[in-house]
Amino acid sequence: MSATGFTGIVVIVLFVGLIVFFSIIHKDRKHIPIRPIPAYQKIIEEINVAVEDGTQLHISLGRGGIIGPESAAGLAGLSLLKQVIEKSSICDHPPVASTGNPVLSILAQDTIRSTSKAISVAEQLRHPSGELIGVTPFSYAAGTLTIIRDEKVSANVHTGWFGNEIIWLTTAGERQSSPTIAGTAQLPAQAIIYASASDPLIGEELYAGGAYLGAGKVHEASISAQDVMRWIIIFLILGSALLNLFGINTFLEEILAGSM
Amino acid sequence: MNVKLHAPISTAIAIGVGIIVLAGYFIPSVESIRFIFLRTGLVLAAVALLVGIINLISVHIRKLGGGDENSGYSLILLISLLVTLGVGITDMVQTYLFGQPNFRMTNWVFTNIQMPIETSLLAVTAVSLIYAAASILRKRMDINAVIFFFVVLLILLGSVAIPPATIPLLGGIRDWILRVPALGGARGLLLGIALGTITTGIRILMGTDRPYGG
Repeated sequence: MSATGFTGIVVIVLFVGLIVFFSIIHKDRKHIPIRPIPAYQKIIEEINVAVEDGTQLHISLGRGGIIGPESAAGLAGLSLLKQVIEKSSICDHPPVASTGNPVLSILAQDTIRSTSKAISVAEQLRHPSGELIGVTPFSYAAGTLTIIRDEKVSANVHTGWFGNEIIWLTTAGERQSSPTIAGTAQLPAQAIIYASASDPLIGEELYAGGAYLGAGKVHEASISAQDVMRWIIIFLILGSALLNLFGINTFLEEILAGSM
Repeated sequence: MNVKLHAPISTAIAIGVGIIVLAGYFIPSVESIRFIFLRTGLVLAAVALLVGIINLISVHIRKLGGGDENSGYSLILLISLLVTLGVGITDMVQTYLFGQPNFRMTNWVFTNIQMPIETSLLAVTAVSLIYAAASILRKRMDINAVIFFFVVLLILLGSVAIPPATIPLLGGIRDWILRVPALGGARGLLLGIALGTITTGIRILMGTDRPYGG
């Protein structure tokens, strides 16, 4: 096994250990304390608005598949979809989902069907939304616009893998005066979201939906574990800068090159 | 036929396959099994595209039948889909049975219909991006929005390439912004995304997140 492989396993084991550790030490608490993220607060508010007004939320899951670097963003979107359906079970109109990837479309329909069955929402069992809107960036964006413009849709949540086409979706939401919560893993699209969405999700906030929407203690523990790992990375970066300052600059490079 | 895997079985399969694929990245002896799973995944993804298209057709047929206000778009979509499918099938027959030039009509459709539409949409996107950057201060009047606005402005001014309008100082500032704070910020965001990706993966491997209806 190479040094890089060994480092990878250490990171995974450390992550799992931290998640288990935080789950155990907070087992008597109802919630593990995590910093508030305004965008998730907004989603909860919008679910309540939809319940009162008889409207529905639109969740677009982007174009990411499940094989490749974009998969985590899509899977995080599916997790959020599940939580939103559970939370809006007393809505007259359950959330509507849209995707730009066939695999994600199947998973979204499966998620809607299984979650709706668990909470006994009949409409979604017959015709679950989550259809494939389009497979190219612009066909997906153009197809999603009709859902955003639907009068029944009171807020739009875009979480998944989006490119520059996200600007179409966020500005369409703005024109409809409906709140837009958006997050993606692509850096240029993140800048667009920051400029155009009313409630942007920046960086790793995209993956934290479950923890903020009540998916369970393991989700919250994983956020705490993520924070610890972030501090470890910060210390490693500062440490390597110091080592560089003292002329010992090959230590980390040798580890990364696999020649420890 | 309705094949229904019970939650524990589908969860166990997902976790098992996930662990083997993950191990394949670190342990060389498991790498070949990882490739088998990934190849199978690719084939399934291609099949999923067919399922997705069938689903898309059924959704739009339902919209047409239900008198939806957007049913005109559904009709256009169905006609376009059927015409493109017909063109593709005709091309396949001509190419493989009669040995004529490769996919001539399909290429024509892409070059003369798909590409101009996507290019014009890209042009509209550029205008929308400038509008979004300019209107950020109207949406959010905080320190981050102000910094964002002025950085965008500096980068745009520093990128002007027409000789009378070029200002060397602005070009220098632009290069510094791109090399130091923008690169540092991008790396920070990427580290955050990497941590989020690992967390999501571990939650799925632990069975806490089950995005497969299990």
